[in-house]
Amino acid sequence: TAGPLLLRLLDWVRLHVCDVDSMVREVLSSETPSKHKLFWNVVDVFVLQGRMDEARHLLSKEASANPTSMNMYKILDDLMKKMPVPSLGNTQTLTELELKWQHWHEECQRYLQDGTFASNPHMESICKILLGDEDAILEKKELMTTWYHFLVTRLLYSHPTVKPMELQFYAQSSMDLFLGGESSPEPLDMILMAAFEFEMHQVIKECSIVLSNWWFVAHLTDLLDHCKLLQSHNLYFGSNMREFLLLEYASGLFSHHSLWQLGVDYFDHCPEYGRVYLELHIERIPLSTEQKALKVLRICEQRQMHEQVRSVCKIMAMKALRNNRLGSALSWSIRAKDAAFATLISDRFLKDYCERGCFSDLDLIDNLGPSMLLSDRLTFLGKYREFHRLYGEKRFPEAARLLLTLMTAHIAPCSFWMTLLTDALPLLEQKEVIFSAEQTYELMRCLEDLTAGNPEKQKFQDDDVETTKVEMLRLALARNLARVIIKEGTVEGS
Amino acid sequence: QVSVINTVDTSHEDMIHDAQMDYYGTRLATCSSDRSVKIFDVRNGGQILIADLRGHEGPVWQVAWAHPMYGNILASCSYDRKVIIWKEENGTWEKTYEYTGHDSSVNSVCWAPHDYGLILACGSSDGAISLLSYTGDGQWEVKKISNAHTIGCNAVSWAPAVVPGSLIEQPSGQKPNYIKRFASGGCDNLVKIWKEEDGQWKEEQKLEAHSDWVRDVAWAPSIGLPTSTIASCSQDGRVFIWTCDDASGNSWSPKLLHKFNDVVWHVSWSITANILAVSGGDNKVTLWKESVDGLWACISDVNKGQGGVSAVTDGQQNEQ
Repeated sequence: TAGPLLLRLLDWVRLHVCDVDSMVREVLSSETPSKHKLFWNVVDVFVLQGRMDEARHLLSKEASANPTSMNMYKILDDLMKKMPVPSLGNTQTLTELELKWQHWHEECQRYLQDGTFASNPHMESICKILLGDEDAILEKKELMTTWYHFLVTRLLYSHPTVKPMELQFYAQSSMDLFLGGESSPEPLDMILMAAFEFEMHQVIKECSIVLSNWWFVAHLTDLLDHCKLLQSHNLYFGSNMREFLLLEYASGLFSHHSLWQLGVDYFDHCPEYGRVYLELHIERIPLSTEQKALKVLRICEQRQMHEQVRSVCKIMAMKALRNNRLGSALSWSIRAKDAAFATLISDRFLKDYCERGCFSDLDLIDNLGPSMLLSDRLTFLGKYREFHRLYGEKRFPEAARLLLTLMTAHIAPCSFWMTLLTDALPLLEQKEVIFSAEQTYELMRCLEDLTAGNPEKQKFQDDDVETTKVEMLRLALARNLARVIIKEGTVEGS
Repeated sequence: QVSVINTVDTSHEDMIHDAQMDYYGTRLATCSSDRSVKIFDVRNGGQILIADLRGHEGPVWQVAWAHPMYGNILASCSYDRKVIIWKEENGTWEKTYEYTGHDSSVNSVCWAPHDYGLILACGSSDGAISLLSYTGDGQWEVKKISNAHTIGCNAVSWAPAVVPGSLIEQPSGQKPNYIKRFASGGCDNLVKIWKEEDGQWKEEQKLEAHSDWVRDVAWAPSIGLPTSTIASCSQDGRVFIWTCDDASGNSWSPKLLHKFNDVVWHVSWSITANILAVSGGDNKVTLWKESVDGLWACISDVNKGQGGVSAVTDGQQNEQ
């Protein structure tokens, strides 16, 4: 409660009825304002808006220009100066004020009836306005421009101690008198009328119908709700008016390419359905760039929306794969914990390797860490790369052991065994014996498993290259076996 | 208030039977009696033709976009008894699969929720409904429900992959046990609900209210409330909203949305299921919203174009 209602209404009118501002400026900035043709209009505007000091100031200019009306001017000026208004300081009680006002009103009445202002119609009109004469005030329709200005002026000069609940009694009649049957109320008028009557639901309803988006009603309702001024009737699905409107507004934001992020915050503040609405909407944000996808992900992760996280990662992985960015696709599928996709991409990597003889995205594969376990194929990819690394670092026994394990522990898919055995060749051809006897036997068994009793056998027999490879392997394995038997059978030192 | 955002001139040479926005509202797929399927980029109010897909030998009745996690995939069905699945690979759209298992016109296609995998339901004038499931490596497995509707099936629509009531009861965090369901509408004036049990599809419910062929069915997206909702529209000019309040899906009750003066061709829900779009032979698209007291009110009328409007999709429309 920041001061008497009337003062706040006057402030409101001064802020919102500004059609007259340019006229006021024009007159005030002219050389001799009192000679300006709009001079009296401006004085009237000041009086109608209760801007007494400014009115008196202008009038004084007129008085000095026209000494003959000095007497009249002094009286009017005095009346305006003395007019009792509700004050912010609360130094007087309401009864005191009303009494003072009554006396002042009677004094004005006397001067008018005595014909004091009879020779100057402008001043007489001002006196009538001071007396709250409705007709006199209505004559200045064009200067007030709206019925609610008329309402406030009327209150100022007939009932300055008005209380909020009394407004509704003056509102409708003010509108009717002002429009005078010539025009009909516009939507804004209806909204204001409902506001004067403190019919909050009506205000919200009217605004919802007239305004082109939910911004205003959503925020207004939210404020009213926070002040506990809105008695929410429970909408049949259990939510309330505030949430209903916020959901509508936020949903609208989601169709905007960047404002959707604001929508997220709004949904966060809707305790009943906000989360599920967010889940449904956030999946529809076009993931046009990686940046955007990461933004969406961050939002989902913060709110533990695991399904949505998985979905976004899968979509990005698929996109990357379509554009042949295998590394990116792999890291997205790992993030999505999508084993099937990881397997698919690992296969592509391995296929690439077979075709080109080298790996792409080495960094990624080398640093897979525990996520390697997401899928068997991925594990194989990681381990296979490790084998190459060990070989590159000349840690041959370790490399050999790993290579063998890949086959015996069935980490490697059967389709890849031939490649692995071929990789073993250089190890078998080394000057130093690397594979132990047992390991060599294992290798031989692997080779036999691969070529004998295997439907793939046909392929090997038809393909010359394959047959040659197999023969070379058999030879190398046999030679290695021979060397290792001797080595292992030799007693140290002899 | 609702307003028209954009008009797309597709240059189709004959009637357009369906128009569907993709998941993000960035692309529009249209299909026509001129046997073609066209894809447009409609971002920022533009309309750039991305692809003109030829492959059908008769009018194409419907198109459906798959979930983006499977890539850019579009299904189309036609009078030529075929269902074609198109895929974008390396920037170009190509036919990736063709299904010819129906004996007459295939009238409707609908992709299942992505949680179930890549599954397409197809309804045909031969009365059967086929379910095509992608099993990997370009292979599709087919399950057929014969005699789903006598005379013919005109529409299929999947139930969302949400366990009814999950909004109220906190989910346990593990992957829930979904029961796959979809609704179909047919020339027997019925709407049927199908449920998968032990790998087999069984008719779970028969919803009777229409007095003429059911032209479209649309199962509303769910926000986890215990209520399930289906919209159906028919040659008889009526649109019904069916609701089922219990999780077991046993009792469905219809509410008449409106009786139109002409056949109603299509119904379609918005993302959060609070708006239903209806289009019909009366040349209008209307949007309907449920008010606080459970009654449906029309929130807008859009009158556009010459000739009947036969398809509508809610996609990414601004709901204001």
